[in-house]
Amino acid sequence: MKRTLSIVVGTVLLATGALAQGDMLARVNQAYRAGDLKTARSLADEAAKDPALASTAELWVLRGFIYKDLYKETAGEQAATLRDEALASLYTANQQDHERQFAASSVPAYWFLAKTIYNDVARALGELQPERAIGLYAKYGEAVRRMAPDTVLTAQDVEYWNALGTVYVKLFAEDRTQFKWYDKAVAVYMHVLQLDSSNYGANYNLATLFYNRGVYNIQRISADNDIPSLQQIQEASREFFSQALPYMLKAHRMRPARPETILGLEGIHYSLQDEEQSRHYRHLYEELRHDELKGKDK
Amino acid sequence: MRRGRHPLLALATGGLLLLLAAVLGGAAQQREPDKDTTAMIQASYIYNIAKLVQWRDPAMRNGPFVIGVMGSDNLYQELVNKYANRSIGKQPIEVRKLPELPEVDRCHILFVPGIDRALLPGILKQPNARSTLVVTDFPDALNHGAVVNFLAARNTLKYELSMANADKHRIDVGLTLRQLADKVVE
Repeated sequence: MKRTLSIVVGTVLLATGALAQGDMLARVNQAYRAGDLKTARSLADEAAKDPALASTAELWVLRGFIYKDLYKETAGEQAATLRDEALASLYTANQQDHERQFAASSVPAYWFLAKTIYNDVARALGELQPERAIGLYAKYGEAVRRMAPDTVLTAQDVEYWNALGTVYVKLFAEDRTQFKWYDKAVAVYMHVLQLDSSNYGANYNLATLFYNRGVYNIQRISADNDIPSLQQIQEASREFFSQALPYMLKAHRMRPARPETILGLEGIHYSLQDEEQSRHYRHLYEELRHDELKGKDK
Repeated sequence: MRRGRHPLLALATGGLLLLLAAVLGGAAQQREPDKDTTAMIQASYIYNIAKLVQWRDPAMRNGPFVIGVMGSDNLYQELVNKYANRSIGKQPIEVRKLPELPEVDRCHILFVPGIDRALLPGILKQPNARSTLVVTDFPDALNHGAVVNFLAARNTLKYELSMANADKHRIDVGLTLRQLADKVVE
């Protein structure tokens, strides 16, 4: 890629015959071709201060590639700054490339870098760092919309918010006294349902969150609770179980053969002291298991 | 932009599967103890009932305070885990899991679940059960000798109380227990 780019830039410089500007760009290009990224970066930054050079796509595409390569060999926060510079340069190159001379290399490079932000979002989520993930995803969205303003990210948004919700659920599971994680998880799944009310995962996870919260209240009952406080706890939990029910029902209607939603409904009705409904879903679950086992025997 | 399988999808799916296993794992027939909300509430009620009644029989005021449980493993475990290190007055609580037979140990409180309702008449005939406060969880149990019966009301677990059966078993029911009952049968 480096070589191809150098040839392209070199050809353009010769064609334009802009000697002084060409000298500077040629030096940047030379340093880049030689793999001396530090010098190439310094020269490219210097060149960018020259208004004449700064109005050329050549400089920005070259600078974009220099920063991209620097980004690839750097780790940590500094890498993110280098990537931002690369993206900005490639975007500027694309804006100034009226003849579309560099689009074949600058546009894929831009999307490659945008995708690395997305991969970092996934990494941050995997490392249970929601704040970092949120920042990165916002940056990813900006990068996508900057280059392609008409892009609709709904599917990706749903995927991201669901994954973020899972992170909050995990953080809440680590410390059940930290209700801020619970609140954030609820808000995130609600947001997913605003984007896509038929999202199975969000419906199921939201139901499970409410259900677990109700169960958790009851689990905390101790010998210190008298009957009035026991009744208050039950009433508070009943609210959570009641909130869980419509989402679990929706998830069940969407995927009637999923055992986890059937068990979820069984558990919710059990906790709502609705023995008849609880038994109904227990039978349904047993029938499903029976059919599965029969299927395996065949 | 080219679209492939996004890394977030893998994470979201993986997370969801973990969640399913954590929340709803296990077969429905054997409810996981930490999800058996009814057993937790019943255990708390039983402990509170123990504190709010008095046994007229002097023999019941000595030794351990015995709570017998038939049927429900989860209720038994919940009582053991949360209340077995407590005392009722000066009597330390002892929780016993009883076999599903009419011949029962002498208990201060005996829980007979609906599944064992057929045993109730036999149990109540036992000399050992003369001063036992029988707690149940099935309809019409008060008419079959239970003193306290759990029932569902407004999507919560409440209890009904038979004063006549309490008296028959020489048990004095405190005013608080009476006032907080969903229903009191004189």
